[in-house]
Amino acid sequence: MTRKRVVACIACALLAWAIAYLRDPPWAGSLTSGMGRWEEDPPGTRFRWTTGRASFFVPRDATAMTLPLRAVFPGPDGRPVTVSVSVDDRWLADIELQRPDEWVRASLPLPRRATSRHFRRVDLHVSRTAVGPFILGVMTGEIGLDRSP
Amino acid sequence: MTRVVLNRLHVNLTPVIRWGARHVVAIVGVCALAGYCWLFTRPSADEPIRSDGYNYYLYAPSWLIYHDPTLEALAQDWNGGAYPAFSGIVRWPGTNRWMNRLPIGVAVLMLPFVIVADLLTRWSNLPRDGFSLYYQHAAALAGLAYFLAGVAVLRRTLSRYFSPAVTLWTLVAITWGTNLFHYAVYDGTFSHAFSFALVCALVELTDLWWAHPRRWHTAALGLVAGLIVLTRHTNGLLLLLIPGWRVSAWSHVRRRMRELWERRRAVLAMTAIAAAVVAPQIALYKWVTDRWMVNSYAAQGLGFTFLSPHLFGALFSTQRGLFFWSPVLLFAVAGMVVARDWARQVLAPSALVFTLNVWVIASWTEWQYGAGYGHRAFIDSLGLLAVFLAAFFAWTAEHPRLVPYIAGVATLATLLSVVQMIQYWLRVWPVRDTTWEQYRSLFLTFR
Repeated sequence: MTRKRVVACIACALLAWAIAYLRDPPWAGSLTSGMGRWEEDPPGTRFRWTTGRASFFVPRDATAMTLPLRAVFPGPDGRPVTVSVSVDDRWLADIELQRPDEWVRASLPLPRRATSRHFRRVDLHVSRTAVGPFILGVMTGEIGLDRSP
Repeated sequence: MTRVVLNRLHVNLTPVIRWGARHVVAIVGVCALAGYCWLFTRPSADEPIRSDGYNYYLYAPSWLIYHDPTLEALAQDWNGGAYPAFSGIVRWPGTNRWMNRLPIGVAVLMLPFVIVADLLTRWSNLPRDGFSLYYQHAAALAGLAYFLAGVAVLRRTLSRYFSPAVTLWTLVAITWGTNLFHYAVYDGTFSHAFSFALVCALVELTDLWWAHPRRWHTAALGLVAGLIVLTRHTNGLLLLLIPGWRVSAWSHVRRRMRELWERRRAVLAMTAIAAAVVAPQIALYKWVTDRWMVNSYAAQGLGFTFLSPHLFGALFSTQRGLFFWSPVLLFAVAGMVVARDWARQVLAPSALVFTLNVWVIASWTEWQYGAGYGHRAFIDSLGLLAVFLAAFFAWTAEHPRLVPYIAGVATLATLLSVVQMIQYWLRVWPVRDTTWEQYRSLFLTFR
């Protein structure tokens, strides 16, 4: 076997391993998209701003999650802001934030569909955004998870 | 004495220089990846798709994920039907359609990388939103990959006419003695690394096309010419190199006209390919504004002031001066004076293009080109300036007594540029409007 073939075989093997590894990467649980850095509001509540959409991951053994949300800016004409929640691309719930300044802690049961992955992806879609230098959706607090069987 | 030492050094260093010249692209690649990993694994790191990079990249997810060239669907999904103010993407008066001030070329060049990122995103069950992890790094690594391709092509061109030592010195000086490395690693989603690669390809293909015209040279030159315009419209003036290549005197102009006429089929084919590549952008402008030609920056109140260019500011000032922040490029100017042989033959068109380019860059109302390290508008043409940097190093090699001094100054200028780049990465330098007082007080400080 020539040196070039050996290098090609090793490269193919590495590529195959990398693709298999990326099917269910162990660090996916810490990934987010569409969310700003952690901040703290005056009473000491930690939160992150979303944009019009945001995604995060929860462990597959979580049976329910508590999702703290706060609109801050009202919807058009003072209407409530709606956050649509889906898990692994399936709609789960719509959460209405009636009062802009109030934290809403929505308890959401997570579907028990079997998955071979370690994490489920949760996507949020916000019905309106506040447009300025940056796009602001809603505040999300620290997510609570219930893992009871 | 000096000559004896140098000769001895030359003998000892020759294998090292040859090895370095052969593997310089790999060495630059390893350094670029190391820098990239360091930059984007820091807790305070920004996401790679930001600032102008956001505007350049935006088309790719719009086409690939939202199947919508109008930018409406992405605005709806991400931003509730708007774009953030920093992007300067506005609805065009009259048509009410989204106008992105930056053209589609970078997104076209990024597309293969974004497609791979999209497939991996599906495979890993990450959010298929166009801005999650893989998309971010695919966009930035695309810039890095094109930069390396540019270095590889430039190495090929220089190796044909200069010694391995001159080629190596030139590539090192261009990579690290200027802000090129920064715009490949730190701001890889901006257009400059892409334009650098395209201009290096333009120089190489133009040289091949005039030396040994082949069909694929014609097709490739048309494609590259189109992509240059598609990536940054003002770089279209660099295409003057094609008809002017190796025209070194007025008396050659008539002969060149005759040669172009003799190659009229190839010229037509090249023009047709370039026009086909640029056509989608023209069509987009027409659809958005109802006009074929448009100043996409009109909403920001930006344009050209050709009668009052900021020449000193663009070339020498502490704010953005090309030679202030990349002093090694002064050797390229000297190279234009001492150029010989092939470099002398390509001097006239190169000097013309460089002068026009300086004038255009300095005439832009926002002549500092926003936030950044050094003057980023000149990066695109570094592939051309490298020829004269090499010409200067080649001339220096013929004057052994000068070698230690020039080598010392070039090394210091390159090291200074690297140090200043790291200072920028550590957010020591102001992002624009740097004054002499600020420069002095922050010189070689890292906190």
